[in-house]
This record gives sequence, structure tokens and C-alpha cells, in this order.
Amino acid sequence: MLGFRLSAQTPPPARPVTDGVVSRFEHTYEVDPALMTEHVRQQQIPNWDFRRIVDSRWEHLHWMRDHFADQVIAASELLAELEAEG
Amino acid sequence: MAIALEGSVVDELIAICGPEGVFTGRSALFNRARVPAPFPAHRWEDHIPQAVVLPTSAEQVSEVVKLANRHGIPVVPRAGGTGLTDGAVPLNHGILVDVKLMNRIIEIDHGNRTVTVGPGINMLKLNEELRRHGYFYPDDPASYPCSLVGGRIGTSGWSLIGARYGHTRDLVVSFEIVLPTGEIIRVGDGGGRSTRKSSSGFQLKHLFIGHQGTLGIVTEATLELAPRPEAEFSAFFSFSDYMGAHRLTGDLSRSGVATLGGVVLFDEMKIAYLRRDDEAYIPQDESVRAVVACASYGNADEVRAGAKRLLRIARASDGSYMGDEISQGDWWSRHDRYATPQHGRTRDGQVALMSWHCEDAAIPYTELPAVREKWHAIASDLIQRFDMFDDWGMFAYTNGAHKAWGDYLTEIDIGIWESRWTDESWAAWVDAKREIGRVALEHGGSLTACHGSCRAGEVDLVPVELGGGFEVMKKIKRALDPNNIMNRGKYLLDQAYEEE
Ligand SMILES: Cc1cc2nc3c(=O)[nH]c(=O)nc-3n(C[C@H](O)[C@H](O)[C@H](O)COP(=O)(O)OP(=O)(O)OC[C@H]3O[C@@H](n4cnc5c(N)ncnc54)[C@H](O)[C@@H]3O)c2cc1C
Repeated sequence: MLGFRLSAQTPPPARPVTDGVVSRFEHTYEVDPALMTEHVRQQQIPNWDFRRIVDSRWEHLHWMRDHFADQVIAASELLAELEAEG
Repeated sequence: MAIALEGSVVDELIAICGPEGVFTGRSALFNRARVPAPFPAHRWEDHIPQAVVLPTSAEQVSEVVKLANRHGIPVVPRAGGTGLTDGAVPLNHGILVDVKLMNRIIEIDHGNRTVTVGPGINMLKLNEELRRHGYFYPDDPASYPCSLVGGRIGTSGWSLIGARYGHTRDLVVSFEIVLPTGEIIRVGDGGGRSTRKSSSGFQLKHLFIGHQGTLGIVTEATLELAPRPEAEFSAFFSFSDYMGAHRLTGDLSRSGVATLGGVVLFDEMKIAYLRRDDEAYIPQDESVRAVVACASYGNADEVRAGAKRLLRIARASDGSYMGDEISQGDWWSRHDRYATPQHGRTRDGQVALMSWHCEDAAIPYTELPAVREKWHAIASDLIQRFDMFDDWGMFAYTNGAHKAWGDYLTEIDIGIWESRWTDESWAAWVDAKREIGRVALEHGGSLTACHGSCRAGEVDLVPVELGGGFEVMKKIKRALDPNNIMNRGKYLLDQAYEEE
């Protein structure tokens, strides 16, 4: 088993995405730390925990969706059919 | 601090509910003082109950209510405690009847397609069991994982897929209720437990739905069973202006597609808010200023055919399809996305811990653009005066049962930094709520489509909205609850006793 290595768990530097939003991993976003200086401080989260939070979110959404129907019909598929039908 | 109940009353409660069903400790009482709606946290102690009971049968509830009548102690029914109009918040202390332990599935009637449950069951848990039989109880509020059947009835709740399946009042076939004097009766359409339509006598079912616990405590409910949907479809469309989105919302709603569960319209402030903190909206192009979403459920072939018709209508609008990931992921997030950010922005853009609150109303389709402008102006004024509020935007959602057209559940979401409450900011908030309600009425709407209207601010307008109907409400309350036991102080119904 691999032990915890700080270097492997330290998030990469943030790159600005929009006014007030930064990103460190693809498709995941954070509030710009500059906006979290007065009332709430940002915490550094190790990479494994960051991924766990993002993955759990998707897991939860699929779990919830599954409560409602057996299958999902994608609009892209129907739009393609409509295109083909002209 | 509320005066403690006399020991002899607590002993009587223990004799009824057993020692494991009666709580007088601080955590049991304080945790049941509030709901998620903005709460005067600086006046917490005004709202704590004197005792909490967790009964397990209608007979126990009845005996607690009779005891309350004997001693003149108010009774507050509480289910999930997620109601947004303070229905489950004690206004006069008293005995809080928490129905959470009455959470059993009592009977599934396969032949007549009903399920009978205790009021403490939650829809998510109920549906997990029903799924095994191919059934679905389609009451789907955003609070689906946490609100309970008793509270849904107490509120007359609104469901996200109500345009397809109806709302709580349409989905509850009949129920048992303990009246404010302790008698146990059953109401429905007529007398039959599973009768869907009767012309026999007064339509009492509707009287006992949505009264916010002022007319009794539901102890058992027989609910509609729909076939579990084979398929789900959801699609989101972006617009560069609100009016284009408003037009498509109307067009989709009037489409007549039977599988359509609902259509929702996000306004520019909502998109601006989501663009700040929501991974689906942050990457959206600046030109995206409003969004329309729709969702359908049912048999796969019917959903597919209906969805194609919806997409044809959308293609003819100015909107652009936003892609499968957001269309599906955003719909799947409908139970928590708008409620749980737990933070907002101060005027200078700094992040602060804020809780979510939404003001809801029912607004006719044609009035949505005007109401939107007025509501945001009210929020903006509040923000200018107190650096503890944040406008999180508005949405409008189809409100009809089994049809999508007509009026819309309209909400403005406001972030509130609750640890900053003062008497002054609380008073300003209550005034703003009243103004929001007044605008709804001026535009031909109702004060509320789903939450109820018994909180400070909105409740003052209930007599204005209902007119002579409010006089009838008072007469009914007096007749059914002669000692004003049941949820005392709610809906201005204390007036019924002042005018003796
Ligand atoms: C995140 C979030 C999203 C929400 N989304 C929606 C939504 O989409 N649609 C919607 O309709 N609401 C919504 N709500 C509001 C709330 O969930 C509903 O009003 C719900 O019906 C309340 O149910 P509850 O079990 O929490 O009831 P409670 O809050 O405990 O009680 C609600 C009212 O019913 C009374 N009551 C409770 N139990 C009984 C009983 N056994 N007999 C008689 N009266 C009783 C109470 O006294 C109170 O007046 C939302 C709330 C939250 C927090």
C-alpha cells in the first residue's frame, strides 16, 4: 500500500477561470481565495479528498436518479434523429 | 425561556407515550424550535417547546391532544421540520408532537393501487420499497430526501413533477386525522379509503390538507401508486435574454405533451448567481442570460415521442440546447443544488456563511416578467440597507396539476447571513416579505404555491388574499378547536377567539 506523501497530495497551483473563480483540476472549480479572506478562510484539501468529494457528488446524483426511472433518454440522441428526419 | 411543564403533566405524557417517547432535555427542545426558513436566531428561546413527544399510534396522539385540551397547553405537529413557513415552529411553546416514529408502510393494495403509510415516512424511503413492486409515489419536492408525508399534507406541498402526476393534494387519496379535540376520523373523497372521486357530502379532504397543523394531526395516509417510470428525459436550453426564455417556457407548457413533468425558467440573476459557484454554469458563455429546462417521465416510447415534440418546439425558439451533461446532471441535482450552497457574498464580494431562503408565490404566466423586476428591486433595497442579504436569483416553475400551462410557482432565493440578525434587520426582512407577497397579489397571484403563508410578513396578507374566505377559516377553527390548542398562533387564527 502506498503511504501518504505530501507532495502527491498537494493541489496544483490555481489558474483563473472567470472573475472570482479558479480551477486546479479539470471541470472542478473553486471560489477565488482572494474572496475568502475576511469572513471565511479557504482550507487546503489534499488531492485524494478533493477527488473523493467530486466523485461522491456524481455517485450521489446517479444514485438519486436511479430512484426515479430505469433509463435516461438523451436529448442529443433525439435531436440527431430530428436532424436526420429533416 | 419557556416555563417547564408541571411534573404531573410530564408524568401524564409518559403514561401515554412511554418514557422512551417523551423528551424534555435541552437538545430535544432546542432542535425542534426552528425550521430552515430564516429564523430570528437572536430570539431562539421564544420558540422552544416545553416537551417533545414521539407517539407511535393514533391513539397516543389522540390522548396527548385530549390532555392538552384538559390543561390548555398548545400542541405543535412536526414531521420533517423542513417547512418554509414556520408551520412546525412553536409560537407559544407547548407540546411538540413529532410524528417521525410513525413511519411504517402499513399496507400495499395492489388491486386498487394505493399504499397506506404512517405520516412519519419519507418519500425517498417509501419509493425504495415501492420500487420492488414496480410502483412509484410521485410526490417529488426539492425536499424529497428529507420531508415526510405528514408534513406534505400539513403544507399541501408542490411537486417538481406535478405537471405530470399532480401535487400532494392530488396524490393523497384519504387519511386518518386526530381532530383538535382528540377524535380520530378518516377523510377522503367520500368515505372509501381508496375512492378517487366522490360527490358525497362536503369535500373534507381538502379542508384538512394545507392547514399547517392548525386543524389536527394526520396519523395515517393512503397514497396514490403510479407505475414506476421506465424513462426520464430532461433538456436545458440557454437564452441571451429573459423574454425569449419566457416565450419558450410558455410554448413548452402549452404543448399538451402528457409525459411532461414540468418546465422551469431561470432568470438572469439566477444565472449570474450560478455562474459564481456552480460547476455547470461557470464555464457557460457570457451570452447565456436565462435558461429553460423541461423534464418528462413515463413509459419509454411515450417519453421518447413526447420529448421529440418538445425538442421541435425548442428548436423553433431562440434558445440553444446546452448539452446532455448539464441537462441531465442539473436535473439530477434538483433536490439540493439551490438550497445547499451555505455561502453567499457580501456587498464587496467577500464570501460569508449564509443560509438559503426562498420566497414563493403562484404567479400567472403573463405576469412573470413584471413580478420579476419588482421582486429584485425589493431584494436590492434590502441588500443596500443591510450587508447580510444576497440575491440568488429567481425561477418560475409550472404549477398546474396534470397540466403544465397556467400559473407558475415563482421563487426568489435570498441568501441570509443569519448570525447578523438584529431586531432592525429582522423587521426590514419581514417588511420585504410582505412587499414580495403584495406584488404577487397585485399581479393576480397567490401568496404561496407550495410553502404556505403563515410566517411574519406574509401572514398579514392572508385576509387580503382570501377575503370572506378568511372569515370562514376562523369559524371553522373555532368550531373544530374550541380551546385553540392546535398550533396556536398560526395563520392569525387567534383572531377567531378574540371576536367572541
Ligand atoms: C431544501 C428544501 C426544498 C424544498 N422544496 C420544496 C418543494 O419543492 N415543494 C414543496 O412543497 N416544499 C418544499 N420545501 C418545503 C418543505 O419541504 C415542505 O413544505 C414539506 O411539505 C414540509 O414537510 P415536513 O415533513 O418537513 O413538515 P414540517 O415542516 O415538519 O411541517 C410542515 C407543516 O405541517 C404540519 N404537520 C406536520 N406533520 C403533520 C401531521 N402529521 N398532521 C398535520 N399537520 C402536520 C406542521 O405543523 C407544519 O405546519 C422545501 C424545503 C427545503 C428545506
